Amino acid sequence: MPPWRCWRARRSRAATFSWSNVQLNRREFLTGSAVSLIAAGCARRPQAHRETLVSVLRLKDYGQELYGEVRRVLAAHRLNVRGKRVLLKPNLIEFDPHRPINTHPMLVHAALEAFRALGAEVSIGEGPGHRRNTLDLADAAGYFQTIPHVEEIFTDLNVDNVARVRLAQPHSRLGSLYLAQSALACDLLVSMPKMKTHHWVGATLSMKNLFGTVPGGVYGWPKNVLHWAGIPQCIADLYHNLSRHFAIVDGIVGMEGNGPIQGKAKPAGVVVAGRDLAAVDATCCQIMSIDPLRIEYLKLAVGDVGELCRSTRQIGEPINNVRTAFDLLPEWAGIRLKGQV
Amino acid sequence: MLTLLASQNRDGGWPYRPGGPSWTEPTAYALLALLACGAAAEPLEWALRWLRAAQRPDGGWPPQPAVAESTWVTAVATLLGPAALGEPPYRRAIAWLMAQSGRETGWLSRLRLFLLGNPPSAEHRLAGWPWYPGTSAWVTPTALTMLALRKTLRWENVPPVHARLEMGSSFLLAHACSDGGWNYGAERVLSYDADSYPETTGVALLALHGSASRQIPKACKLARAYLPVCQTSEAESWLRLGLLAHQQLPPDIAPPMRPQRTVLHAALALLARAAQQGRNIFLE
Repeated sequence: MPPWRCWRARRSRAATFSWSNVQLNRREFLTGSAVSLIAAGCARRPQAHRETLVSVLRLKDYGQELYGEVRRVLAAHRLNVRGKRVLLKPNLIEFDPHRPINTHPMLVHAALEAFRALGAEVSIGEGPGHRRNTLDLADAAGYFQTIPHVEEIFTDLNVDNVARVRLAQPHSRLGSLYLAQSALACDLLVSMPKMKTHHWVGATLSMKNLFGTVPGGVYGWPKNVLHWAGIPQCIADLYHNLSRHFAIVDGIVGMEGNGPIQGKAKPAGVVVAGRDLAAVDATCCQIMSIDPLRIEYLKLAVGDVGELCRSTRQIGEPINNVRTAFDLLPEWAGIRLKGQV
Repeated sequence: MLTLLASQNRDGGWPYRPGGPSWTEPTAYALLALLACGAAAEPLEWALRWLRAAQRPDGGWPPQPAVAESTWVTAVATLLGPAALGEPPYRRAIAWLMAQSGRETGWLSRLRLFLLGNPPSAEHRLAGWPWYPGTSAWVTPTALTMLALRKTLRWENVPPVHARLEMGSSFLLAHACSDGGWNYGAERVLSYDADSYPETTGVALLALHGSASRQIPKACKLARAYLPVCQTSEAESWLRLGLLAHQQLPPDIAPPMRPQRTVLHAALALLARAAQQGRNIFLE
């Protein structure tokens, strides 16, 4: 079984359709089949991609320079957020201080200041997948030290108010999903992941980071309902259903090898940003020397990933100047980028 | 205890953080903590009314009223016992818990494995409990449900409960990490050992109270090592409770120091303190 189709390989759990909860008589089956055929004809078609802007910044470390650079990025993307509610969604996973697992607090603070300077009302929210104590995680990751009064603007998305969202044309088997109200109600959700390899999906970037909007208070730790429904499929569903988004990826020090937790530090020296999470993630993959055409959730979300890459207009550093091959687990050797996309 | 009482919502329930909406889990833990500390009857009765009203027709509890599904929080509510919940609601809750198991142990998963030529391993025979119906079993919901069912046996001897408890113990022991502790329930990811967590190590040890397994001393040793370095109040409380259950809590242990950032933290800290003073409500 391909690794991305299961959560724990030893459990061999299916990510594809299962009949376990389905009991149909013949009439229901035939009706359902007819509806499915009609729906398949009308539903998702390969998307035509408009030109998408993605910024690639070269930054050696988490210094003061970040603040000005993030402001310049937001200006380049002409974000009109005056008076709008902006939710910064970093990636907080583990307490381990020796591994680059969590989004660096300096980058989050720089984004907070930059959005505030544009007149936005900014908050921070995260709902980790394994550890329950989100504020303690933020504290251990340096957020309390770096961001003044962070506790007043921080929402634990795992125990936020929830609303049930009917998924439009889902790729997964989930017809609906409870999501954190703060993520649904904001005017702009800014996904701020760490640039990392991932043992189940190859690379975890701004789209996978949306898992943190699914409330652990409802689904538990881990949010196993997403694994049974298919991790790549659920990533694509969240991408389409949380559509007012922006991405700022922390690749200054990323993680390679057995990510997203047990890998090694990879100083890639980049921050990647843009309005379209898929275009940002495809760009990050190329920087990591990973073939975005082989990332399942990108294919599901956008259809023609090659066309997405061709229609992405890059500003800042050219990819070739910052490309640095992230080590891959042997199971993921097949996604290594060979040549250009 | 005053902090806990002050954060009770006007509807009778408790939020995770003061000012938020009431959720089942913090309400149930707050009730357990106040019962263990001998709080006045009025806030308790108020909270119990909220909890009884939140129970779903299937016998389980949703995490909060906006969610139309019973989940693992049923185990925490059931820990309150028949005296607090009332006998019929309690029986319905036990029936709901007994009907749950990890999806990987279902006949369909096992049939699928068989058809793929993989005989079901011990993994697929040991039925633990999931966080959410229709998903896999994990350490914390299994441990909490075991604690709830063990309380049931003190009230009424039901043979199927014995069998599930045996299986739950085996599930936990099979999912210990190589360092002897527990994480959320994946001791290996692909072919790599995963690290254990302090909080799940504590709750698993508490659920394995009375176990004669040879794994327990190693787990207790790790829990004692975690205690001074763990970074959350929740972890500290579960470690204390877990070690106390095996009479392994060091007598000279320092008082709790970590910030209590949620109602859950405050309630668990009270429960751990009450247990140190001789009243472990999880094991009564």
